[in-house]
Amino acid sequence: MSEMIVGKNITRTFAVPGGEFQALKGIDVEIGEGVFAILRGRSGSGKTTLMNILNTLDDPTTGEILLDGQNVKDLNAYEREELRRKKMGFVFQSVSLIPSLNAYQNVEFALRMAGVKIDKEAELRIEECLKKVGLGNRMTHMPSEMSGGEQQRVAIARAFVHRPKIIFADEPTAELDSAMAAKVTETFQKMSSEEGITILMTTHDVGLMGAADMIIQLENGERIDAE
Amino acid sequence: MLGIMLQKMWHKKWMNLSLLLGCILLVATVVSFPLYQKAAYDRMLQDEIRNYISENGVYPAQVTMKSISKNDKKGSTMAKLEEFQKSICGQIGVTEKRLTQYYYLLNSTITSDMNRSDADEMSLSLAFLTDFENNIRIVGGNMYSEDGLTDDGAIEVVISQDTMLAEGLLVGERLTFKAMQTIDKKPITIEITGVYVQDTDDPFYWQMNSKNLVLSCFMREDLFREMFTGENAKKYTVNSFYYTLFQYDDITSEQVDSILENTNYLNKKSKYRSVIQDTNYYDILENYNKKVNRISATLLIMQVPVLIMLAAFLLMISGQMYEMEKNEISVIKSRGSSRGQIFRLYLYQGIFLTLIGGVLGIPLGAVFSKVLGAVRNFLDFNGSRTLDITYTGKSMIYALVAMFITLLTITIPAIGHSKVSIVNLKQSKNVMKKPLWQKLFLDIVLLAVSGYGYYNFNKNMADVSGTVLSGQSLDPLLYISSSLFIVGMGLLYIRIQPLLIKLVFFIGKKKWGPASYISFMETIKQSGKQQLIILFLIMTISLGMYHSTVARTILENAVMNTEYADGVDMVLAERWEEAVDQDGNKTGLYVEPDYKKFSSVPYIDKYTRVFNDKNGYISGGKTGRQAVTIMGIHTKDFGSITYVDKSFLSKHYYEFLNELAVEQKGVLLSDNFRTQLGYDIGDTIEFNNEKGKKATGVIVDFFEYWPEYAPTVTELFPDGTANTKDNYLIVMHYDYSRNVFGVMPYEVWMSLKDDANENEIYQWIQDNNFKLSRYVNRQKDMEETTSDPLLQGTNGVLTLGFVVTILLCAVGYMIYWIMSIKDRELIFGVLRACGFHKKEVVQMLLIEQLFAGILSVFAGIGIGWISSKMFVPIIQLSFASATQILPLRLIIENADLLRLYGVIALVMISCVAVLITLLFRMNVTKALKLGEE
Repeated sequence: MSEMIVGKNITRTFAVPGGEFQALKGIDVEIGEGVFAILRGRSGSGKTTLMNILNTLDDPTTGEILLDGQNVKDLNAYEREELRRKKMGFVFQSVSLIPSLNAYQNVEFALRMAGVKIDKEAELRIEECLKKVGLGNRMTHMPSEMSGGEQQRVAIARAFVHRPKIIFADEPTAELDSAMAAKVTETFQKMSSEEGITILMTTHDVGLMGAADMIIQLENGERIDAE
Repeated sequence: MLGIMLQKMWHKKWMNLSLLLGCILLVATVVSFPLYQKAAYDRMLQDEIRNYISENGVYPAQVTMKSISKNDKKGSTMAKLEEFQKSICGQIGVTEKRLTQYYYLLNSTITSDMNRSDADEMSLSLAFLTDFENNIRIVGGNMYSEDGLTDDGAIEVVISQDTMLAEGLLVGERLTFKAMQTIDKKPITIEITGVYVQDTDDPFYWQMNSKNLVLSCFMREDLFREMFTGENAKKYTVNSFYYTLFQYDDITSEQVDSILENTNYLNKKSKYRSVIQDTNYYDILENYNKKVNRISATLLIMQVPVLIMLAAFLLMISGQMYEMEKNEISVIKSRGSSRGQIFRLYLYQGIFLTLIGGVLGIPLGAVFSKVLGAVRNFLDFNGSRTLDITYTGKSMIYALVAMFITLLTITIPAIGHSKVSIVNLKQSKNVMKKPLWQKLFLDIVLLAVSGYGYYNFNKNMADVSGTVLSGQSLDPLLYISSSLFIVGMGLLYIRIQPLLIKLVFFIGKKKWGPASYISFMETIKQSGKQQLIILFLIMTISLGMYHSTVARTILENAVMNTEYADGVDMVLAERWEEAVDQDGNKTGLYVEPDYKKFSSVPYIDKYTRVFNDKNGYISGGKTGRQAVTIMGIHTKDFGSITYVDKSFLSKHYYEFLNELAVEQKGVLLSDNFRTQLGYDIGDTIEFNNEKGKKATGVIVDFFEYWPEYAPTVTELFPDGTANTKDNYLIVMHYDYSRNVFGVMPYEVWMSLKDDANENEIYQWIQDNNFKLSRYVNRQKDMEETTSDPLLQGTNGVLTLGFVVTILLCAVGYMIYWIMSIKDRELIFGVLRACGFHKKEVVQMLLIEQLFAGILSVFAGIGIGWISSKMFVPIIQLSFASATQILPLRLIIENADLLRLYGVIALVMISCVAVLITLLFRMNVTKALKLGEE
C-alpha cells in the first residue's frame, strides 16, 4: 500500500501582535491510499491549519508535503489548483453548496471543474453518487430546500463524483445532530472502501472515531496519537 | 443610542458615504433649480429690457400721463395729478428714478415788437420742464434770470435752436400774446433771453414730442406755476405731461407679476386711468413672462427624470444597506428590542445623513447653477458668462422639501425591515417572488401611455407649432411621454433579459466551461436583485443619449437656421439719396454711393452687389397680383460668398447658379411658383419691381431654398391659431435688373476674413457715418442664437442631469457589485479552494458583467436611439421659433455619443478593476472561515 499523503516535520508559524505564534510544531504524517483517517483535537489544536497545509491551500513554514508521491513545493499556484480540482475533493464545515445550483447541478459542477465531459456516462455517475449518499430522490432540489445534513451529503457526493485520490473534509459534522453525523460518517466510510479514496476528516466528535482506519490526534500543535 | 448609531454607521461607512452622496446630490440638484431659474430669469429680464432700449432708444420703465386742463377751477386737477405722480412708483412697487413734468399753455398767436410781417402767422406757447436748466446748454444769449422777469415785467424765456431757425426769432426780441392775458387782465409779454440746445448726461431726458418742443418757450418753473396754475388755472388751458421713470436694473424676476398686476390696475381701474397714456414696460414684461412660462415648464419637466433617478438611487442604496443589516436587525429584535427602537435608530441615522446632505448640498446647488449658466452645449462648458447666484426664500423651501424627501426615501424601507425577526428572516430567505411591476405589466402600461402621447402629438403637429408660437407652454405629456417610454422600455428589457440569458445558456449547455457555467447560473439566479441596477444603467445611458440629442439638435438647428437666414457673413445696405427735380419732386433716380470703398476695408474678404427688392409683384395668373421678392445677383461673386447645404436642395447649389449664369435673361424661381402658381421651366414670367417697372425672365429652374429665403412665413392670429403663407422669390442677373429697373438701391453682401471683429466693423460704419437701411452681421446673430436663455438653460439642465446621473450610476453600480461579491464571498472561497483558477474568476466576473452591465449598456444605447428618433422632432418644435426656416433635422453627433460611451466605459472598467482586486485580495481560507460562524 503506497502512501497517499506524506507530511515531514511540518511547522507553521503565524505573526501575531507582539511576536509569533507557532501553530504546528513539527508534525509528521503518513496516510496510505484508501485510508479513512480522522484528524482530531480541540479547538485551537492546529488541526485546520494542518489540513489546509496538506490540501495545498496554505504553505508550511518548514517541512515537506508529498501528495501521491508529488512534492507540493515543486508546484506553482496554477498546478496546485489543477491538483486540487482533479485529484482532490472537499467537504467544508459550513454550507458550501452553490445556492444557484440544485443538488444535481452542484455535483455536475465538480465534474465540469475536473474537466470531465458531460455525457451519458457522466450523468449516470452523478446519479450514482447522489444515490450513494441517499439523495436519489432529491436530485432537483435547491440547497435552500434541503436540511443541513442533506446539503452536507450533496457536498460529499460532489467531493466524490470526479473520483479524486483524496478527500479533505473539515468538520463536516459540526452543524449536524449526532444521528445525522453518524450517517454522514458512514457515507464517508462506505465511499472510501468502495472507491478506494483516501479520506482525511477533522472532527472533535469522539463518537465518530470508531469509523476511522486511522486517528491522528493533535494538541497544541503537536501530534499525540493515543492509539 | 447615538453611540450605537454612529458605530453602526462607521461599520458600513461606504454605504453611508454613498447615501450621503445621494443626499447631497439630491438636495443640490433640487436647490440648483430655483437658484438657476432666478439668476437666469433676472438676466433674461435685463436682456429683454436692454433689447428694448437698443431697438427703441426710449427709457424702458416709465409711465407717461397727459392731461389738458381747461379753465380748471382752483387748478386742482393738476395738483391731484402731481400728487398721483408722486405715488405711482409706490403703487407699482418699484424704485423711483425721476419725476418730470412738462407743462405748456395752449399755443397762441403773437405780435412782435420788431414789427415783423410774419408775426401774425407765428404761434408759440409758454412752457416749463422740470430740471430744464440742467439738461441744456445756452448757445446764444443768456439763461433767464433768477426771478424770471425783466425789469419791466416781461417774462424771460429761452427757445431752442430749432425754434429760432424755424421761426426766425432773435435773441432780445419781445413778443406779446394776442389772445392771452395775465390773471389781472394785463397783456403777457415775453423776452427771448437765450437760445438753447439739448445737452444732457441723461440720455432719456429729452423724449417729449419735438413738435411741442419747437413751439415751447421755456420760462422758470416757479414763475409758471405762480402765474398759470392753482387759483389762476381757471383762465388758461394747460397741457401737462408727467413722465414717471423708475429704476429698471433692480427689477427682479419675482417682481414682474406684481408690477404687471399693479400696472394693470393703474391702466384699467384707477381713478386716473384716462390720463395714463403709456406704460411702455408693460409689453416688455409681458413678453418676458411668456418666454418664462415656456422655459420654466420645459426646464422643470426635463429635471423630473433626474430627480426620480436620484430618489431611486437613495432607495436602492438604503434598501441594500438594510438588506446587509437584516441579520443584525433580526438578532437585535430577537433579543428584545422593540420595533420602535429599531425604527428610531434608522430615523436618527436618516436625519443625521439628511442634515449633512443639506449643509453640503445647498452650497453645491449654487455651484451647480453656476455650471448650468456656463453650459454652452451638452457637456460643453464655456464659462464665458457667469450668473449671479443669490439664495432666496424659494430656494430654501426647495432645499427643505428635498431634505424631507431624502429622509423619507432612506427611512421608509426601515419600516418594513424593523418588522423582520430572525424567524421570518429564515423563512423568507431565498423565496423568489415575481416583482409587482411585472405582475401589473407596468412596462406595457408605460409604453402604451407614451405611445399614445407620441401618436397624439404626431397627429397634431400643426397645433403644436401654433401653441409654441403663441408662447404657451406645451402639454407636459409630450415631455413625460419620452421619459415614460424610456422607463417602459427599460422595464421591458429587464423582463426579457433573463429569458435571453437562459436561451444563450441552453444553446451551449454541454459546452460551457466551469467559469461560464457558474456565471450563467449566478446571473440567472441574481437577475431579480439586478433589476434595479440594470434599470438604472439603462436609464442613465438612454436618457443621456436622448438628452444629448435633444440639446444638440436644438442648438444645431438654431445655428444652421441663423446661418442660412442671414445668407452671408455681412450685409450692408446704405440709404440712398433719391434725386429731386427743380420743383422738389422725387424723380425715382438714385445717387449710387461709392462702391469701391469696400475694397479698402481690411476685414472684408469678398463683396458683391445684390439687388434685393422685397416689394416686387407679379400680376395676372391664377391669383391676380402676388407679392414677390426680386433678387439680382452676380452669379459668380454671389456663389463665392454664399452657400446652401446640398441636403436642402434637389441639386447642388452651384448647379443652380451655373444654370442662371448662361442665360442672360434667365430667372431662378422658388419652388412654389411651380407648385402653387403652375409655372414651368422654359416659361417666361413677367414681374414688376416696387416702382412698377416691368421685367421679363425665362425660367431656368426652381429651387427649394436660397440664401436668406424663407419658403413660408407663419403668422399668428390674435385667437392663437397660426397661418402659413408662401413667400415667392425671383432670382435674376444683377446686370439685367439694372438694365430693366435702372440704378436702384442695392445691398452689399460680403464675406469676412477669419479675424474679422464685429466691433471693429461696427466702428468703421460709425466712423464713415454710413446711413444704413439694413445691416446683418452673422457673427452677432450667431452669438444671440447660442446665448438664448431657453437654449442655454436647456443645455444646462440636461448636462447637469447627465453628470448627476452618471455619477450616481457609477456609485450605484460599484456598490451593487461590491455587495454582490461580498455576498458571495463564501462561494468564491469554495470555488478557489476546489481549484478554481484566478483567470476563471476573472472570466466569471466578466461574463456576469457582460450580462448585467454591457448588455444593459447596449440596451440603453438602443433605447436612447429609438427615443431620440421618436421624440426629439416633437420636442424640438417647442424650441423652434417663428423664424425657423429650414426643415428641422435630427442631429446625433458622434462626438457627443463617444463622450457618453467614454464615460460609461470608464465606469465599467474601473468597476471591474475594483472587483478583481477585491477578489484577488480575498484570502481563501479566511473566506471559508466566514461561513463557520
